[in-house]
Amino acid sequence: MQGLNVTEKGLGYLWACLTSYTGACAYLMLYVAALLYICVFGSRREKEIFIPCSVFLILTVYNPVAPVILNRFFDVNSEYYRFFWITPVVVLVPYLFTRLILTVRGGRERSVITVLILCICLVSGNFVYRNGIQPATNIYKMPDELIQISAIIHEDSEAEYPKAFLEYEYNMQMRQYDPKMQLTVDREDYLNAVSTPYTEDMLEDEAHPQYRLLAFLVRLQPVDREDFLDALESSKTDYIVINKNNPRDTFLLSAGLKKIAETEHHNVFRYEVKEPYDFELVDYSVVY
Amino acid sequence: MAYIVIIALGVLVNFIIYLSFGSLITMGIGKKHRGSSCPILLSSVIGFFLYYCVFFVVCVPPMKYYRPLSMLTKIWTPMVLVIVAASLIMNGKAWVDGFRQWGERIRNWPVFILLILLPVMIQVILVSCTYNFTLDAAYYVANVATSVETDMMNVYDPFTGAWQDHYEMRYFFATYQMQDAVVCQLTGIPALIWTKSVMAVTVILLTNIVYYMIAREMFIPASPAFGPGYEEAGSKSGNSCAGTVRNNELAIPVMMIFMFVVNLTFITIYTSSLFLMTRTYEGKAIVGNLAVITVFYLFIRMNDGSIGKKAWLITFIVCFGAATISSSANMLLPVELTALFIPMLIRKKRPGMLPGYIACVIPGIVFSLVFVLYVKGYFVWYTFPK
Repeated sequence: MQGLNVTEKGLGYLWACLTSYTGACAYLMLYVAALLYICVFGSRREKEIFIPCSVFLILTVYNPVAPVILNRFFDVNSEYYRFFWITPVVVLVPYLFTRLILTVRGGRERSVITVLILCICLVSGNFVYRNGIQPATNIYKMPDELIQISAIIHEDSEAEYPKAFLEYEYNMQMRQYDPKMQLTVDREDYLNAVSTPYTEDMLEDEAHPQYRLLAFLVRLQPVDREDFLDALESSKTDYIVINKNNPRDTFLLSAGLKKIAETEHHNVFRYEVKEPYDFELVDYSVVY
Repeated sequence: MAYIVIIALGVLVNFIIYLSFGSLITMGIGKKHRGSSCPILLSSVIGFFLYYCVFFVVCVPPMKYYRPLSMLTKIWTPMVLVIVAASLIMNGKAWVDGFRQWGERIRNWPVFILLILLPVMIQVILVSCTYNFTLDAAYYVANVATSVETDMMNVYDPFTGAWQDHYEMRYFFATYQMQDAVVCQLTGIPALIWTKSVMAVTVILLTNIVYYMIAREMFIPASPAFGPGYEEAGSKSGNSCAGTVRNNELAIPVMMIFMFVVNLTFITIYTSSLFLMTRTYEGKAIVGNLAVITVFYLFIRMNDGSIGKKAWLITFIVCFGAATISSSANMLLPVELTALFIPMLIRKKRPGMLPGYIACVIPGIVFSLVFVLYVKGYFVWYTFPK
C-alpha cells in the first residue's frame, strides 16, 4: 500500500491500511452489521457459513499484530491489503439485503425497502464511474494518438526496434500495443521520477543515463545541454515524444533534434544517434 | 462488428474448453441432488482452473529451458483438442441433459433469468467497451505482446523490451499470461484485444456464474436437508429458505443485482471490486474475485455436505489453478482456506478432512517459499545457458 510502512507504523499499520482500503466506503461497517444480524437472528446454517470465518479473520488478518509479525518474514508493506479481499463482503451484504426484502410481504413494501437499500448502497459506496464512463475509441482500448505515434515512428525509422522516450501515460501503454517499440525508461524509474527529485549524484550516474532524461523532461530540473545529449547517446534513444505543453520543446530543437511530426497533443522528435545500435533478438537457435 | 464477433467467438471457445476440462472432474456431482450428471456451471468454473493447472505443467519445462513460445503452442494446441474431443465423447450426453435442464429453467422462470442476465450484460459491456489506464497492464499485457513478438516466454522485459539474463521469479509460476500469448500467437488476435476484451468478458461471466451458484446455494441449497420448505427451528426472522419456491427463485436475481451494485460502489484503488470492474484481465483480479469466491462457494457446499467425495479434489484444482494465474493467490488462498475450513473441520469433528486441506494449501506455500529463496539470493534461473 503506497506510503504505508509496517516498520514505521507498527501496530498502527493495520488501521492505516484499513482506512486507505475502505476510503469513504462503509461496506465493512455494513458487513459487521450483517454479521451481528446473523449472530442474533440467523439460522444455524447461516451462522456456520459466516460467523467462524469472520471470527478467524478478525483474530488474524484484522489483528494489528499480524502485519508486524508477517513483515518479519515477508515484505507485506505493499500487499497486506489483499488479505481484506478474503472477507466475503460481496456475499454477505447482498445476501442480507435480499433476505430483508423477502421478509417483507407485499409488492409496495418490497419496492420501498429495495429503494431504501439501494440508497444505502449509494451512500455507503463510491461509484466506480463517478468521473464518467470513458468509452474506448478503438478496438485496442488505447488512445488514438498513441497508435498514430507508433505508426509515425516506424515509418520514420529504419530500425525494426526503434527506441523511444515517451511521456508518462504513453510510456506505460506503448508496449501493450506495439512490442516492437523499445523504451528508454522502465515503469519503476518513471514512477520514481514523478514522485522524487533527482540528486546531483543521480544526475552524474553514468550507469543510468535515463535519470538525466527524466530529470530534464519530466521533472523539469536543470541539466546541461551536453549531459542531456550524452544521456540520449548512451541510452541509444532515437525518439522523444512529449506533450505539446512541455516547455522543453524549444530546447530539443536547439539541441539538434528534429521534429518529425506532431499530433493533436504531442510532438515527436528524432535524435540521430552517433553510434547507432540496432537491437536484435537473441539467437536461441545455438542452444537447441 | 468484426470486433464483437472476435470477442463472442473467443469467449464461446473459452467456455467450450473450460466445460470440457471441468466435466472430466465434475462428472456425476450434480446427479444426486439436482438430477443432472453434469453441473454445467460448476464444470465451466472448475474447468477454467483445471485448464490453467494443466497448462502450467506443460508450460514450465519449455519456459525454464528457454524454448520458443511457438514450440509450446505446437504442444498445447493438439493437447487441448484431444482433451476437448475426449470430454465430448465422455460427457456429450450429460451436457445435452444439462443444457436441456437449463432450457426448462429458462422456460419456467424467463423473467428471473432475464433479471439475472441484465446486470451481467451491463458488466460485460462496461468491461469490454471502456477505456481504463492502469499501471500494471504495462507488465501483464505487454508481457503477452512481447512474448508473441519475440517468440520467447518471459525472456524479454515487458516494460522496455530489453533482454533479461534471468527469469523474474515473481512472475515465473504465474503462467496465465503465457496462455494468453499462446492463443494470440495461434489466432493472430492482438494481445490487447485478447486480454482486455476476450479474457475480461470471460472472467466477468465466470465470476457471475459463481455469484449465481452462491445465491442459489444460499436460497435453494443443493442439499435436500436445506431444500425448499426447510425451516429451521429457532429461526426467529423467518429464514428465506422457508419461503415459497417463487420467493426463493426471485431471491437469486435480487441477490445478484445487489452483488453487482456492491461491485459498482465498493470502490477504492485497493478493493477487489475495483479490480473486477476495471482491471478484469489481470491475474490479481481473477484471484481476488473468481478464485476467492469459488473457494467460498465450495466451502458452503462442503459445509452442507452436498458436493460428495470430489470436494477436496475440486478445491485443490481451484487453489493450484489460482496459484498459476497470479502469485497473489500464494498468500491469499492459504489464509482463506484456513479461515473457512479449519473451523469447519473442528466443528464437524472430521480430522479425515485435514489431508485435503493441507494438499490445497501446499501449492501456494511452495510457490511462496521458492520466491523467498529467490529473493534471498539462493538461486537464479538464467534465460541462457551459463
